[in-house]
Amino acid sequence: MEKFLYNLESYLKKQITRRNFLKILLGGLLSFISYNSFLKYAFARSKPSDGRPKSKVKGKYDLVEAEGNDPYVNTVRAVEEMGGMKKFIKKGDVVVVKPNIAWDRTPEQAANTDPKVVAALVELAYKAGAKRVNVFDIPCNEDARCYKNSGIAQAAKEKGAYVYFADHWNIVRAHFPYKSQMEGWPILRDAVVCDKFINVPVLKHHSLTGLTLSMKNLMGVCSGTRGLIHVNIGPKLADLADFISPDLTVIDATRVLIRHGPSGGSLADVLKMNKVLVATDPTLADSFASTLVGRDPLSIPYIKAAAQRGFGSTDISKAKISKIKLS
Amino acid sequence: MKKLVTARKASQTFFLLLFMYILWSTTYPLKGLLPPETFFRTNPNIMIFTSISERLFLPGLYFALAMLVLTLIFGRFYCGWVCPLGTFIDCAGALKKRKMVLNDGQNKKVRKPKFVILGAVFLGALFGIQLAWVLDPMVIVARFVSLNLIPTATLVIDRFFIILIKTFNLYGPVYDAYRALKSSFLGVKVFYFANAGIIFLVFLLICSAALFISRSWCRTLCPLGALYSIAARFSLLRRINAGCTTCGKCVERCRMGVIKENADYMKGECILCMDCIYECPAQGTKFTFQASSKPLSTDTAEGKKGGISRKDFLFLMACSVFALGFRWRFGKSKEICGPVTRPPGALKEEDFMDRCIRCGNCMKVCPTNVLQPAILQCGLRGIWTPHLVNEIGYCEYNCTLCGDVCPTGAIPKLPLPKKQNTKLGIAGIDHSTCIAWAYNQKCLVCEEHCPVAEKAIKIEWERVDGELIGKPRVDPDLCIGCGICQNKCPVRPERAIKVSPKGADRT
Repeated sequence: MEKFLYNLESYLKKQITRRNFLKILLGGLLSFISYNSFLKYAFARSKPSDGRPKSKVKGKYDLVEAEGNDPYVNTVRAVEEMGGMKKFIKKGDVVVVKPNIAWDRTPEQAANTDPKVVAALVELAYKAGAKRVNVFDIPCNEDARCYKNSGIAQAAKEKGAYVYFADHWNIVRAHFPYKSQMEGWPILRDAVVCDKFINVPVLKHHSLTGLTLSMKNLMGVCSGTRGLIHVNIGPKLADLADFISPDLTVIDATRVLIRHGPSGGSLADVLKMNKVLVATDPTLADSFASTLVGRDPLSIPYIKAAAQRGFGSTDISKAKISKIKLS
Repeated sequence: MKKLVTARKASQTFFLLLFMYILWSTTYPLKGLLPPETFFRTNPNIMIFTSISERLFLPGLYFALAMLVLTLIFGRFYCGWVCPLGTFIDCAGALKKRKMVLNDGQNKKVRKPKFVILGAVFLGALFGIQLAWVLDPMVIVARFVSLNLIPTATLVIDRFFIILIKTFNLYGPVYDAYRALKSSFLGVKVFYFANAGIIFLVFLLICSAALFISRSWCRTLCPLGALYSIAARFSLLRRINAGCTTCGKCVERCRMGVIKENADYMKGECILCMDCIYECPAQGTKFTFQASSKPLSTDTAEGKKGGISRKDFLFLMACSVFALGFRWRFGKSKEICGPVTRPPGALKEEDFMDRCIRCGNCMKVCPTNVLQPAILQCGLRGIWTPHLVNEIGYCEYNCTLCGDVCPTGAIPKLPLPKKQNTKLGIAGIDHSTCIAWAYNQKCLVCEEHCPVAEKAIKIEWERVDGELIGKPRVDPDLCIGCGICQNKCPVRPERAIKVSPKGADRT
């Protein structure tokens, strides 16, 4: 300590010359530049990404609807009807199961995906030979509370999935081949760098868009100030769905929040529908799901935007649909 | 082998680690082995004076009195063996070996201020003003650990891993290890506390003072030390030194400077650090419960007296009465809320400032980091009290943690349904910047996030250019002022919806 003080004092008492002054200036400048470039190198590197490749795998049907009391069985049977999980997942794949864990609500309040649906999908993915199943979401409420109280973290972990909190530094910048309002938006890297992406939204009311469905659920992989996506939401979500292009969309309509969405909270607003929908085309899945609660698909801004851009089909009458009823 | 010194050091390390563990576990699931209030409940300074000033019986009072009873038996063992701030001070003091040695005459003066402080705290408490928090060591060190040490440590570890993973593309097992660490030890987010640097400076000042005079804080200012010192004068455990040659070694080395030239000591000031036992060349020094039949010193009366005479004490008590002039208060105040938003169900502003001991537990536990230490937002009196900064976080609808960890009940323990109906304030929309009102665009982020089941933000649908635009309006009856709307509002730099503390439910 004394030695340090002595050195400091003698340094401060040194006569300053022009040469010395320039030296100090240069040294400061160099350290400033290197420090800045280090920070840029370490933190600001997020590569642009073109999104996930489109999958050409189709199921036996365009859409399967399974109705029954147990959401777990519903999911398993619906995927079976679609042709089995083996059709979609290859051995050694890294699979992302992206449920809706947005709110600090219990499963009964129907603001999040039913944990049993998520558990079933994780199990099916592992049975089909997946190397690793990741489950994550960027919630609207506090992460740890949402993961715990939604019951999804525990249900998925029991089936062997990797459930973790999303890191906002681990992102890529979205890049589109066409002009898009989502250009440059930070998207979680884990959602893009994976072999298969299974989108597991919950069907519920949403004040702005009318309904929360699979495309709206994809907002959960977006970092940044997500509120801004709400302005002109239709085209943005359609582009986002095109960017992520989920391989499989499983819509949980076990409990449907019909009012005061998307967060809900009152059991009086929950309608028991006991259905699970499985489809490969997110637009078709969303269109069909919206008819379940009596909405015109084209009244939902993002379905309309997707139809206008030709991402998938909104015509339910032409689609091959299988409806199975389980006791 | 300095057995007792080793034992003392082990005990200090243990309690410091325990202290840090308790504060570290003061976080969302709240599953620590000991309750977060442990170190405050066993703190007589906080418990007794808060109870007196607030005219109530705090649940921790039993523990605090038990500590005083223990002090009556063992002396100031707490300062030397337990106190985490004492441990930090000893660590800082160990950095420099040669320190100023004060002779006995000066020693007395150095020792006085803490009794003055204690007297002021006591007088304040009689008149209903709680001043115990100002210099309480437990509060100072808890604030440092909660608001400086833990956030900084997590930040450094977090950033280290981020750089490691990003630079070397270690998205495999290293990333998994990082995630495991994040969901267990580190916590989901790195916490940030505004102006926490000042808290660190206070702590640094106290610790670095030990570089010049060892344990200078404990000798001079600590009110808890003063309280223990008074009790310790009557302690049963005493130091005896058989065969003393008055070589003066212990006099020179005593970290509290309590040993006099004739090798007698002031019992009330001894913190039982056990150093003198091993310094003694005659090896006659030891601590024992035996009544000293043959005291070496002749002036035992002087030895028992400690630092302050009765005359001085009365004089200072009289002096401090004038200090009360700045706020003379009887009964409850009328002011319900001040200029800042307080945690759910907090006491009325004046009472809150008196009851709050600024320990930082609520800020540490808050899962969204919304609770921030105030600096001057609510006046100098409100320094370091918790207030909500909705730009950083918001009050979680299903969370009651801040009330659960408050050691004095400044934030009451509310059952969840009651908390969900407790207003923190009421949100108001700025129509000149709101995306929907000012620009006729679709947004409704505030309505989407509103946690109230019936939605405290109502939508007015308006047809603009053939398109339905939803415009938000706050229902002041339903709004609970949680601030999630303000937190999520995408308008920058100032949010278009803001919570004002007016209309808050304060108990």
